[in-house]
This record gives sequence, structure tokens and C-alpha cells, in this order.
Amino acid sequence: MLICRVHSIACCLLPILFSSCKEEVVDFNANLCKGSPAFIKTLGFDSRFSYFSSSNMNVMGMQLLQSELPGNVNARITKSFQHPTWKKGGHLAPILIDDAGNIYTSPAPFINLLDNPIAKNNTIYRVDANTGEMEEFMRLPFQDSINPQNPYGIIAMIYLCETGTLYVSSVAGSRLHEENGHIYAINLKTKKIIDQVDNTDAMGLGISYAAGKRELFFGTGRDTDVQVITLNSEGKFSGKPQTAFTLQNLGPRGDDKVRRIKTDNSGNLSVYGMEFNFNLIAPREKQETLYRFNYDETQKKWVHQQAP
Amino acid sequence: MRIFAAAFIFSLAFLFSCNNKTTSSDNTAKYDDDVLKSVIINADTLKTFDFVNARVEAIKYALQQPMPVLLCGDSLNSNQKLAQQIALHDSVFTRSTKDIGNNQPFRSEIFGVYPARESDLSTIKNPVNLADCYRVEMYNYPLNLTTIALVDIKQQKVITTFTQQQTQPEIPLHLKNLAIKIAINSTEVQEAYGIKPSEKDALMASTKTSLNRTRCERSRHLCVAPTFVKDGKALWAIVDLTDHKLVGVRWTNVGTTGPAAPMITERRLQDDKVTACFCEKETPLQKDGWKMNYMLTSSDGLRIAQVSFNGKPILQSAKLVDWHVSYSGTDGFGYSDAVGCPYFSQAAVIAFEPPKIMEIKDDGGNFTGFALEQTFRSEQWPSPCNYNYRQRFEFYKDGRFRVAAASIGRGCGNDGTYRPVFRIAFATEQNNFAEWSGTNWNNWPLEKWQLQTATTAYAENKYQYQLTDNSGTGFLMQPANANFGDGGRGDNAFVYVTQSKSTIDEGEADLVTIGPCCNTDYHQGPEKFIEPSPDNIQNKKLVVWYVAQLKNDDSKGREYCWAESVLENGVYVTKAYPCFAGPMFVPINLKK
Repeated sequence: MLICRVHSIACCLLPILFSSCKEEVVDFNANLCKGSPAFIKTLGFDSRFSYFSSSNMNVMGMQLLQSELPGNVNARITKSFQHPTWKKGGHLAPILIDDAGNIYTSPAPFINLLDNPIAKNNTIYRVDANTGEMEEFMRLPFQDSINPQNPYGIIAMIYLCETGTLYVSSVAGSRLHEENGHIYAINLKTKKIIDQVDNTDAMGLGISYAAGKRELFFGTGRDTDVQVITLNSEGKFSGKPQTAFTLQNLGPRGDDKVRRIKTDNSGNLSVYGMEFNFNLIAPREKQETLYRFNYDETQKKWVHQQAP
Repeated sequence: MRIFAAAFIFSLAFLFSCNNKTTSSDNTAKYDDDVLKSVIINADTLKTFDFVNARVEAIKYALQQPMPVLLCGDSLNSNQKLAQQIALHDSVFTRSTKDIGNNQPFRSEIFGVYPARESDLSTIKNPVNLADCYRVEMYNYPLNLTTIALVDIKQQKVITTFTQQQTQPEIPLHLKNLAIKIAINSTEVQEAYGIKPSEKDALMASTKTSLNRTRCERSRHLCVAPTFVKDGKALWAIVDLTDHKLVGVRWTNVGTTGPAAPMITERRLQDDKVTACFCEKETPLQKDGWKMNYMLTSSDGLRIAQVSFNGKPILQSAKLVDWHVSYSGTDGFGYSDAVGCPYFSQAAVIAFEPPKIMEIKDDGGNFTGFALEQTFRSEQWPSPCNYNYRQRFEFYKDGRFRVAAASIGRGCGNDGTYRPVFRIAFATEQNNFAEWSGTNWNNWPLEKWQLQTATTAYAENKYQYQLTDNSGTGFLMQPANANFGDGGRGDNAFVYVTQSKSTIDEGEADLVTIGPCCNTDYHQGPEKFIEPSPDNIQNKKLVVWYVAQLKNDDSKGREYCWAESVLENGVYVTKAYPCFAGPMFVPINLKK
């Protein structure tokens, strides 16, 4: 899978001494391995039409919903289920499913902190693929004393199929003048943090192989830029984050921050941007805009695709 | 915005400056001078310029015409004029020039008539001669809508029409010039620039690069930002072309390399300034014998602290902890909103503008005191499910003070009840709290709560409670009973009294949301500091919690805790119907 791309003779002659000169080229991978949780079938849900949601503002926690048309938010919900344990984390935000069908999620405050105490906002919960029960999986370290100004902890997750690594971004401890967030790389089998990026308030994690590399993309919550960092074959971070592209002056507001990044089957990026200032303004009051970026092989850069 | 007619009149005197040199313990050192020295123009100001009068008259005249569209103000050749006329006779192109519901005209204006480009005709099936085709662009101010017609002047017809929501066409030259004129004639720009800049000094590049968006995301007005470059820095003047006034001013660095300077918009200007000047530092205030510090909190609104009158400590602090909003139509439906700072806060509804300080006049026109007021707003207010809260402290020359707040709607329905939670911590170390029984004052020995009802007895028909120290001095507490001339209809308030403990923080620091949205009984949050074992409150330092209950109303002529948008002169303006609540504290010695 790994190929050495030779940039210069010097680099190839001295690959060990000058490891920064060599660049891994990785075969394309759509990073699609989401398993189907087995408990869905025992509940009588059709997995083809079912999905998990944490965005119903009238229901705290996670729900399993069956829709007439999954993907269409206006489609009729034909069936819903909530396991009693799915409320224990308060309001939740990211939902990630691994290749075995286990679900990973974490708390996210909604309007206020009544059901989401700050002390619990750095907790990862796991819903067992077979039983459907939600249990605390692990608590990420609080790098700082609890900061009442910042109500957020974990705000994004993404799973790398190749290595079984869960990437989790937490902004816990970040302050107005101190970017104290982290991206953690967690081996799900060992439940160990294998690597981390510090001093980064990453939002909207996304993985793409489109540039011939295994890359993790994220916004920063501080500005309109989208950063990228290369991942190695073990799922660890390689090098330092770089600016890949920006949302500045794009869209109806021109200063959106990244909320979510999705990758399509070709590795192109769908970046969802909105206003975000680390407060608890209701999400419904914010307009969200989708920005599409494709990797231009010729220019070797990400290019914004204008809406038709 | 229409302010509810009050018995007293406020004479406005705003303090928008950020005097960061006065304290050493603040965080303003982390902000660059450009933020600290930026200027936000008060949104209530009526300041405008004589040179816009002709344009205002032209707008009014256009709105009275059968086709209420302001023609293009730039010079057009005969073909362009013909294209404009053809477009304005096309019913599809002009479909959005009036409100479908009531036929009232929207303010619309032709911004430009340009020769069509090849790309404009890419979807046209029938062959046309490009040279005969013009692109007519019309802007609808209240809907923030661009309508474009492709006109064939030879065939004398509109070939196609399309609209772009939330988009503005290229600003015409005469409006760019007007924006520059407003900027250079504004005192704030002249003061920031050092001298009155000339029209030649203005760059409109920023306008040209942001054709599809306004600089005023919050007011949703048409705004542009002429800039003036001086000594390697750019002075941005955000100008509102809907209301013809300056919105604000801020310097940025002009770099030749490195990351681009942040785009200065109304929202960024406001949030940065409010944060740097009022969320990160306390501001001292001394007036009419009163002395205090105030600042915006993460989630408890505007907080005043170390309040004294004529040298005597009165309050340790006072703030607005929560707004609980419940809707009776749906059981358990509502929100528990905190109000506070725009960045890094637990606030669901945030401060856009700096606190305001206003003079208070009595009916006879005499200045009797001053008010310190702060507004918190949802960005889309007064759209449904958006909120606007106003917090106000009143201080009078005779020693009275009032802790007040209002909801200005609009919320998610006309069946809402707003419950603001005030926390008022008194400074005196040994206080007693008593209620009027109808014949005398009965002390409360233990922490307790009580509901103001229709049968509540009031001393002198006003005072429900008194708070006194060992010498018998203190305050009478007068709940709102439609008696403060501010349109309030009575508070029906829960009052809680707790002991202020030096060893345990029971709300002196920023409080997280302390109660859920929808409890209709005394479980509003402060009871947590009373139950299960109420403490002794005799001769103790005391905290009074006050939770008013305000039922909104949208019925015509009876609007309360409500707001709505109405068309005036072709644009939407907000009609506000605040419901003020909160108790007045009257010095006992004043009564003697």
C-alpha cells in the first residue's frame, strides 16, 4: 500500500536521516466501514431505513429512528426507540459507528447546562452493538480546571477504518485567549490514547485519501480556515497541522466556521459552515451553509466548487 | 423600534467608550488597540444627514407610485433606460415589489442595468442577439432579495427572470458615493482618522468583493464598508444604506503578506468590542451619589457589584441569573435561557451592544436619577422562537433603586410565561427580612420563599417586605404591581430569602442555569439554597431572589412581552411591547 515517492536523489539516498524528505503515497480508501448494530434487528427496525439521531431538540439523548426516506429530514418517521440508558449523557452530539456496529457518542450542551454539566462534557459513551446499552467508554483528560466560560468539551469524532482509530476533538479548558483544545487518537481496542494534537480547538473532523495521503481535516473554531494533518499507517499524527483551504469570504456570511466535514466516495469534502463563538445560542437560530471542495490533482490543492 | 410609553422619560447619554486604562486587573491587554478603540454607534440614534433628505423623499415618492420601484440612480444610456422600463412592465419581474398579503409596497430599487453577458444567455433556448440584451438588477430591501431580468430591447420583452434570495446586487455608483459621504461626514470617522477624510481617500474595494452579502448580518440592512488607509492601517466605516447612517468604525492592519485581515462586519465589530470592554473587565461608575462596578457575565447578564450610596455600602452584587420560558400549549415545552457575553459564554441570548447609561426624568421633567441598561438579543429577533431581553438597574438621587428586566418577545408562541430570576445580594452584614402582615412587620426567622398573590397585603398599598439592619435602617421592598409607569402589569413574583455565606458560594460567582424552563411552582432554582434545611436569616447577610411571572399577550392593543415586524416606508421595522418586572427598594429613612 505504501509507495515511496522520490523527490530527489538525496532524499532516497538518505531516507533514514532525512525522513521528512520522504512522502508516503497511500492508495485511495473511501474509509467506509460502518457496521450495523445487531440490536437494531431485535427491535424490529429495518436497518436500511434506520438511523441514530441526537438532534431532536425535544428529546434528550440519542434516538433510533426509522424513516420513510433516510437522509431527508422532512420524511415521515415511522418508528422510534430510545433505550433508557441513552439519556444518561444528557444532550448528545457526535454519533460514530465502528466496523463492529458499536456506537460512540459524547455530551454536548443544548441551550443550557442543566442536563450537561461541564465536568461530564469530556466523556465518551459507547453503545454496545449487541445489547444497545450505553455505558461510559472513557473520560478524556481535563487539561485545565473546569472553565465556566466554555460550556463545551468533546465536539467532534471520526473513525479511521484502516487502523480502528477513533479521533476525538475536545475544546474543554479552552478560553477566549487560550486555545487549549486537543485532538486525541484513541485505539478502540486498547482504549488508549495513542497520539494527540495539542492547543487546537478542532471542529468537524473529516478523513480523506484524495490527495494520495491519509489526511484528517478539521476547522478550528477560532477562524474560517480548514486545517489538515497527515495520519500514518498506525493512525498516529504525522507532522503538524497545515492550512488546507479557507471558508473566508465564501457563502452568505463570509466568516463561517466549520461545524461538520463529510467525505464522499471520491474523497471530496462537504464542509458545513456556520457561526460559532463558543456560546449556547440555539443552533436553530444559526444558518448553515454547505461548501464543497474537490482535490485538484493538477494544482495539488483543494478547490471550492461553486454551487450550480 | 417603538418603546413602550413610560411615565418617566429617559434622556439618553451613552457611554460606549472602553476606558481600558482605569484598571490593572483586566484582560484588555490581550486585545489590540483596534478593538478597544472601535466605535459602535448606538442603534437607537436618530442621527442622520441633511444630504440624504432628497434620497429619503425620493424613496417615499416611489413608494406611492403604482409601480413602487426607485429607478436606477446612475446615469443610463437610452438603451439601458429602455431595458429598465421594459423590465418594470413585466409582471414576473415586479412580482415581489408588494406584500402579497396586504398589497403594501416593499422598498425596491433598480441597482443596475448592464449589457448582457454570454453566460447570462446560456439557458436561453430561442436565439437572441447578445448586443440587444440587457441585464436589469433590482434589489428588494426588506426581503433582501435580488431579482434579475434579461431584457431584449429589440423584441421589447423580458426573456427571462430569476431571483436570488438573501443576495444583493452590485452596489450602484451613486449609493457607493452616498456611503462615502456618510462616512466622511460622521464625527466618529473623523475622530478615528484624525481629520476629516476626503472622498478620494475612500476605497470601496471591500464592497466589490462582497457583492452577495451585507456587512450588517444582524440588522439585515444593506451595508457597505468604505475604508480609509493611513499609515499602513485601514479604517473601516460600516455604513447602513437602508437607514443612511454609520453603524460603526474600526481600524485593522493592512498586511502585504500573511493572512488576510479579518473581514469587519457589524457582528464582528459588536462582538469584539462588547467582549473586550465589558466581558473582560469591570467598569467603574459614579453618579448621583451612587458608586459601583459593572460588567457583563458569562451567563448572569449584566452584574453590578460593590454598590454604595453616599459612601454607604448597599449591594454586594445584583444580576439576572436565568430566564425561564414555558409554553402552556405543550406540556414541558420551553427554554431556560441564560443571558451574557457573545464569546465563550453559557449564554443562549447574547449582548450585541454595550451597556447604556441613561438619565431618568420625572413627570415634571426633573432629573431624578439614572438607569444602567443592557439588551440581550437573538440574531433573528423578532422572528418566532427568537428572544430579546432587557435588563435595567435604576438608581435615584434619593437613595431608591430598582432591579428590573423585561422580555420583548417574541418567543415560540402566544401562550408563553417568562420567569426572570434576579439575585440581589445585600452588603450589610447583619440584616433582617420581614413581611407585612396587614398590621405589622413579621420577621422571617429562617430561609423561606413566598408567592405574591391577589390577597397579598402591602404597607401603604406598596410595600410587601422590609429589610433592616440592627439600627432599623434599610429598605422597603415594593414589588411591581403595575405601579412603575413602565407598562408592567404586575409581577406575581416568588420571593426567596437566603443567607449569604462566606464559606459556600451560593450564586455570587457566575451561576449555571439553576432551574428548568417549565416549572410553574416555586421550583425555579433558588429553593436549592433553602431546602431541605433552611438556615437562620436573623441578623445575617442576606440574598433576595426575585422571580417574576409574566404572561405574554399578542392580542391587538394588549400586546405584552411581544414584538412584531411591520412595514414602514417599505422596510420592516420592529414594534416592541416589553413587559418590565422587578422590585423597587425604597430607603426606610426616606419614608420617615
